[in-house]
Amino acid sequence: MSFLRALRRVHPLIRANFSNSRVTSRWISSTPDLHNPEAAAAAVPEPEFRPRTPVGGARIEIQNPDDSVEVFVDGYPVKLPKGMTVMQACELAGVDIPRFCYHSRLSIAGNCRMCLVEVEKSPKPVASCAMPVAPGMKIKTDTPIAKKAREGVMEFLLMNHPLDCPICDQGGECDLQDQSMVFGSDRGRFTEMKRSVVDKNLGPLVKTVMTRCIQCTRCVRFASEVAGVQDLGMLGRGSGEEIGTYVEKLMTSELSGNVIDICPVGALTSKPFAFKARNWELKGTESIDVTDAVGSNIRIDSRGPEVMRILPRLNEDINEEWISDKTRFCYDGLKRQRLNDPMIRDHDGKFKPVTWRDALAIVAEVAHGVNPDEIVGIAGQLSDAESMIALKDFLNRMGSNNVMCEGNGLNPQADIRSSFLLNSNIAGLENADLFLIVGSQPRVEAPLVNARIQKTVRATQAKVAYIGPPANFNYDHEHIGTGPQTLLDIAEGRHPFCSAILSAKKPAIIVGAGLFGRKDKDAIVAAVETISKLGGVTRPGWNGLNYLLLNAAQASALDLGLVSSPDVIRSAKFVYLMGADDANLDDLPKDAFVLYQGHHGDRGVYRANVIFPSSAFSEKEGTYENTEGCAQWTIPAVPTVGDSRDDWKIVRALSEVAGVRLPYDSLMAVRARLSRVAPNLLNVDARERSTISEELRPEFKQKLSMAPFGAAVENFYMTDSITRSSKIMAQCSSTLLKK
Amino acid sequence: MASSLRGVARVQPNSKTLEEARSRTFDFFKKACRSLPTVMDIYNLHDVVTVSQLRSSIAAQIRKNINVTNPKVIDMLVFKGIEELTNIVDHAKQRHHVIGQYVLGPEGLDKDLGMQDQGSSHFLKRFYETNYF
Repeated sequence: MSFLRALRRVHPLIRANFSNSRVTSRWISSTPDLHNPEAAAAAVPEPEFRPRTPVGGARIEIQNPDDSVEVFVDGYPVKLPKGMTVMQACELAGVDIPRFCYHSRLSIAGNCRMCLVEVEKSPKPVASCAMPVAPGMKIKTDTPIAKKAREGVMEFLLMNHPLDCPICDQGGECDLQDQSMVFGSDRGRFTEMKRSVVDKNLGPLVKTVMTRCIQCTRCVRFASEVAGVQDLGMLGRGSGEEIGTYVEKLMTSELSGNVIDICPVGALTSKPFAFKARNWELKGTESIDVTDAVGSNIRIDSRGPEVMRILPRLNEDINEEWISDKTRFCYDGLKRQRLNDPMIRDHDGKFKPVTWRDALAIVAEVAHGVNPDEIVGIAGQLSDAESMIALKDFLNRMGSNNVMCEGNGLNPQADIRSSFLLNSNIAGLENADLFLIVGSQPRVEAPLVNARIQKTVRATQAKVAYIGPPANFNYDHEHIGTGPQTLLDIAEGRHPFCSAILSAKKPAIIVGAGLFGRKDKDAIVAAVETISKLGGVTRPGWNGLNYLLLNAAQASALDLGLVSSPDVIRSAKFVYLMGADDANLDDLPKDAFVLYQGHHGDRGVYRANVIFPSSAFSEKEGTYENTEGCAQWTIPAVPTVGDSRDDWKIVRALSEVAGVRLPYDSLMAVRARLSRVAPNLLNVDARERSTISEELRPEFKQKLSMAPFGAAVENFYMTDSITRSSKIMAQCSSTLLKK
Repeated sequence: MASSLRGVARVQPNSKTLEEARSRTFDFFKKACRSLPTVMDIYNLHDVVTVSQLRSSIAAQIRKNINVTNPKVIDMLVFKGIEELTNIVDHAKQRHHVIGQYVLGPEGLDKDLGMQDQGSSHFLKRFYETNYF
C-alpha cells in the first residue's frame, strides 16, 4: 500500500478524492486483486485465447509432438519444437519483437540487445533472439522491465549514431528510425561528442557511411554465410569497433547489393541511388527480373516515367530475399541507348526516323519479296512468351518455320521438358548431397542458384565436383576436369568420382546451357545421362538431372517450339531479330534484309536495315518462364519510351500490313493462344513437371569432340542489351572483374 | 476592334434560366461569326480556310457541349469561349495556333490520312496512335 500513500502525497486530485471517504472506499475496494494474486486468479475467469495472427505469416510444423514445448507469451500459449528461440515463440504468438542484429536467414549474433524480453523467474531480461525456449516459460513482452530495457538499448545505440536522418538515404525505411520512434526515449542524456568512423570503399555499388553503423554485424554474417566471401569483418573493440575489410579491398561478390537491404540503418546504402529519391515518393511495382534465367522476384520502384531502383521481393522457392547485383543495378541501362522511333537505314547508311505506317509497309513489302524459306526469325534473350508466339505465328503464316531463340544452340531438344529444365527446382537443390557441375559456372550464370548450392554446401557439407574451365567458386569444390574426357571417364566408371556419386543419397548434376552451343551437344547430353543412370540421379521422388539455362527467354522459347537450327541463317534473305543481339550474323548473306525490333541500340542494330522500337521488361506485361519451368509475369512499372510499342503488338500490326493477319487483338487473346501451345505458361507461379520419361528420348549416335568446355558468360555484369548500356554495370566490370 | 469586345469579357451575373444561358450562347456565336473576317485578315488565313469553314468549326466546338444543361456551366463555357475569342481577335495568338486549333483540329495532319487506313482493323488504327489500348 505504500505506493498509494505516495500517490496520495503527490496527486492533489487523488488527495481530494481520498478526503471523501465514500470515494476512497470504492477506489480501494477495486484494487485488492492486484495485491492478492490467488484471489484474483479465482475471481477472473479463464482468459479466452483467440487465435492470433503470427508475425509475417510465420507458421510452424511440429514433426515430433514429444519434442515440442509449450510456452506462454503474454499469457498466450504457444506450442513449438524444442530448440527454437524465444523470439520465434513471440512471432508465433503474434508479437513483433524489435530487433537489429537478428535476421531470419543469418546466424544469430545476439549483440544488439534490442530484443530483450522479460522471462518469469529469470533474474535479468533475456535476448529473445538467442534464448532457446524451455517448457512452461512465461515470456512477457510488454512489461515495464521489457520496455525500460528497450529504451535503454535505444539510448545506447543513439549515443553514437549521428542525427542526420534528413540527409540519410535510409530515411523513411530505417529500422533505427522506426524503432526509436516507438521504443526510444524522447531525449538523450549524453552530452559528449559522438564518435566518427572512417568510411570504407566497398566498390561502385555500396555506399558506406560508417559513422551510422550500429555494429549489428548483419553485413558481416551475410557476406560470409550467404554471399560466401570473407570480405567483411569486425575490427577493434569497445567503442573502437568498426566494420571493415581490414585492408583496402572492394567487396567482390555478385550478391553484394543485398547488404544494402540487410543493413538496418543507413550505414550501407546504394551508391547509384544515393540522393536520388525518397522511398515514400516511389511507386512500387511487383515484377520479374529478366537478366538471367532464374526469374528473381523484384519490386521496381519508379518515380514518374523513371525507374529509380530495383529491390528484391520474397519468394522462398526462387530467390529467397536476395537478388544479384546485375538485377539490382542494371536499371540505369533502361534509360540509355533507347530506341524511340521506327527507323529506316538510308542509302548513306544513316538511320532516318519514319512513321510506323511507313516502316511497317516497307518491311511487309520486303518480306513478301523473298522466298518463304528465306525468312528467319530470331527471338532475343529478353523476349517474353507472348511476343515469341506472335513471332512464330507470323513467320508460320508467311510460310517459314525458321524461328529460333538465341542461346538454344543446334537442334534443341524441346520435346521432353525435363531435358532443358532445372528439374530438382532451385529450392530442391537444398536437398542434394552431391553436386556435379558440368560446363557451368553458376556463380556468374545464375548467382541465386549458386547461392542455394552454397547454402547447401555450408549446411550439409555436400560435395561439389566441377568439370569445366577454371572458374571462381565461393564454396569448397573439386575441379575434376576441363572437358568431355572427364565426363567419359565417369560414364565408363573409371573415374574416382564414380564411387562418390554411387554413395550419394540425392546426387544432383547441373549441366550448363553454355554447352548447348557445342556441335557435340547431343553426345555430351548422352554422356551425362549415362552418368545419371549409373549414379541413380533420377529416381522416384528425386530428379537430380538439371539443366541450368542462361537467359530469361530460353525455357519459354523451347516450350513454344522455337527450335530451328541457327544454320538457316546462311541462306536467309529476311531476318527478323526480335531483340536478338547475341545472334551470330557472320554467316548472313550481304544482301539480306535485317529487321531489328528491340528496346536498345545494341549489337543487333549495327546490321539492321529497319528498326522497330519496342518496350523493355519494365514497361510491358509479359510471361517469362524461368530455368525451373516456373512461369511468372512482369508488370509494367513505367510508360514506354517515345513511339515504341509492345513486341507482340508490333508483330500483330506487321502481320496485318503484310496481309497475314494474326487472330489476336488483346493480351488476353494472345494468352489464349499461348494456352493452346504451352498451357503451362499460363499457370503463373506454378512449376509443371514433365510427365514423359527420359526413355522416350531418341538415341544419339554422335562423336564427342575432346575440346574442353568454355565459359558461357565472359562478363557477369554485361550479358544483355540492358546491362550492356548500363553505366553502373560498366563501372562494375571495370573495377570488380579480375583481369 | 479589340475594345468593342472588351465589354463582353466583363463578368456578367449568372443566367437565371436555361433560356437566358441559351441566348447568351447564341450571342457569343454571333459575335464570333462577326469577327471572323477580321481574324482571316490578321492571321492571313485566306489561302488556308474559308469563313464558312471557320464558322462550322466554331459551331462544332459549341455543339461538343450540347449535353450541358446546367446554366452555370453554360455560362462558364461561354465565358471561356469569349476569352478565347478575345485572345484571337487581340492577336494574342500566332497564325499556327489558329491553324492548328481551328483549321486542322485535334487530329492534326492525320485527319486526311484516314483514307490510308481504310479497311485496316481497329487494332491497327489504335496501334498507329498509341501503345496503350
